[in-house]
Amino acid sequence: MRHLGIALALALSVPVAGCVQTRQFADLQFTPPQGDYRLLVMRPDVTVNSVTTGGMPEPRADWTEQARANVINALRAQQAARGGKVQFLTRRNELRGVSEDTVADLERLHSAVGNSIALHKYLGAYLPTKPRRGLDYTLGSEAVEVGRKTGFDYALFMHAEDSIVSGGRVALQILGIAGCFVGFCAPNIGGGGQFAYASLVDLKTGDVVWFNVVQTGSQIAGIKMGDIRSPAGAEQLVERLVGRMKPGRDVRRTMERR
Amino acid sequence: MCLRCYELNRRSLLVGGGAVAASLTTGVAQARIRPADMRPLIGPGFRPTDRDEIGLWQQMQRVEEEVAGSNLLIKDPELIRYLQTLIGQVGGPAAKDMRIYLARIPEFNAVMFPTGFTVIFSGLLLRMRNEAQFAGVIAHESGHFLRRHMIRMWRDMRRKTDIFAIGAMVAGVAGGATGVNTGDITQLAQLGTILSLFRYNRTMEAESDAMGARLLAENGYPAMEMATTWEQLIGELNASARHRRKRRDRHVGLFESHPSPEARMADLKASAAEVTLPGRTYDNRRARYLQAISPIRKMLLDDQVKLNDPGASQYLIETLARDGWNGLLRFYEAEVWRLRNRQGDDHRAAQGYAIAVAYPDAPPEAWRWHGLSLMKAGRQAEARAALSRYLAMQPNAADAPFIRQMIS
Repeated sequence: MRHLGIALALALSVPVAGCVQTRQFADLQFTPPQGDYRLLVMRPDVTVNSVTTGGMPEPRADWTEQARANVINALRAQQAARGGKVQFLTRRNELRGVSEDTVADLERLHSAVGNSIALHKYLGAYLPTKPRRGLDYTLGSEAVEVGRKTGFDYALFMHAEDSIVSGGRVALQILGIAGCFVGFCAPNIGGGGQFAYASLVDLKTGDVVWFNVVQTGSQIAGIKMGDIRSPAGAEQLVERLVGRMKPGRDVRRTMERR
Repeated sequence: MCLRCYELNRRSLLVGGGAVAASLTTGVAQARIRPADMRPLIGPGFRPTDRDEIGLWQQMQRVEEEVAGSNLLIKDPELIRYLQTLIGQVGGPAAKDMRIYLARIPEFNAVMFPTGFTVIFSGLLLRMRNEAQFAGVIAHESGHFLRRHMIRMWRDMRRKTDIFAIGAMVAGVAGGATGVNTGDITQLAQLGTILSLFRYNRTMEAESDAMGARLLAENGYPAMEMATTWEQLIGELNASARHRRKRRDRHVGLFESHPSPEARMADLKASAAEVTLPGRTYDNRRARYLQAISPIRKMLLDDQVKLNDPGASQYLIETLARDGWNGLLRFYEAEVWRLRNRQGDDHRAAQGYAIAVAYPDAPPEAWRWHGLSLMKAGRQAEARAALSRYLAMQPNAADAPFIRQMIS
């Protein structure tokens, strides 16, 4: 009877064990770019790992390349519908008027800033010195310089990690769920999932004006809430990430008042 | 009957779990690895073909891209060419495939990445007394690449965590509700971060030492210098600890999960004796090494004395001076005392500066501090002469206007 109860509880918990979370942060005064804007899309930083039976992430070159190509295609398709003038950087040396080293520096700087935003705004390590509302991060004068030299209004940065559980780990998970019937329950060894973020930098001020985090995952190894190795999965992630940019709080309030 | 089966199962599980745990520990003492057994596992132009290794390489190519663009790198083209030549000599069959980066970090360390690029810390250049010692470190790092240590480590780790995860799950399921705690598997997953790959286990280090000794001797360097390097490092760590009235920290840089330095030194001595052929001449090429690092040696010493580790700095300078004192070493010896600032150190430093300026190659700063010390001692005329000398050598120094005003 007890075992049956556990199994039932487990069966109920399965649908809620997987989830997709997104959370947007924007500068209070942020208005999503509209009309005749020029956008620079930086090379997306994509990694796809395979999760071994023991739970270690093993980098997979073929999946990573496939996913990066898919993400770039999805971004292209998505931005084409927007109306702005867009350039995609697939290499650091493709930006006219700006050296490869400067692009690399900007990418590294953004990687540090973007990780900080994700860590301190989303992953829970809140900073008492930072306001909870709005977005108070900048790439500084270097970004402004790039904007001045190239004439772009915005730069979009994107980071995506996807972990795919291996067959061995799925088998282990099935064993863990099967165990529930004998009284040893390990229904949620997990391991797979996505973590991605995108940030929009205003190249006139250097400030990060909009930031969005997507986290998908499930406690059950083998249940996937998206997979960027497929074009459809990459489209889904891009849509979740940059599909709908919400304006900043102050702008929203003004709009509501009207 | 079934109850008994159950009991039996539980006991065998515990035994099995113990065996799994035992297989995970690697702290067993082992015999020395002989240089003659260390054959390179890869040839020239190696490219990975296995799926996991291809993934690792792709990731490391990104790392190299970042390392190559780091602003910590020392980019002196002549020096880098020299280092590249050295790795080209002692790198065995893969010599032409390896890249070398020199990072300005005042520590004794060097890292080999699985794709064949190595990052040398500037503190290592400072500590090496001759080319043979430096080539020894490079040969050791090449050994990691030639013996494919990174991917072997990764596979070993993956195998062990797989075994552990399956073992824990099977044990848990079979144990049922008997209270067998499976522990937190996610913690194990954290073990698998890429960074932990850099920590080779003891066997791999011993292999690299043996391989390095062999490469060194084959290229006409005295292999015994590798053991001397360790002797110097042990001395330095002891001196540093003694000064701080502490015991030697065993978890610094190169030592992490490495064999104890003493054991390593003993093994290296035995290996060196094995690879040294009677009748062949070996040359440590000290002059060539000092010539190559001369443009940055002052910077290296400066970085070291500013680490606020007087025990280590003093030992280091004395060790370098075993090959002969010069103005630069004397000046930095005095700098260690001045910055240490214990009772009587100002006098000691003043004497040190006075000795340093007696050497023809004394740096301008030696004259500066010599002058300032004299001024402090009330010997104005001599101080003026020394400071004038400083200004003559370094007319555009940042503090030149102040010094000019002092002596006017």
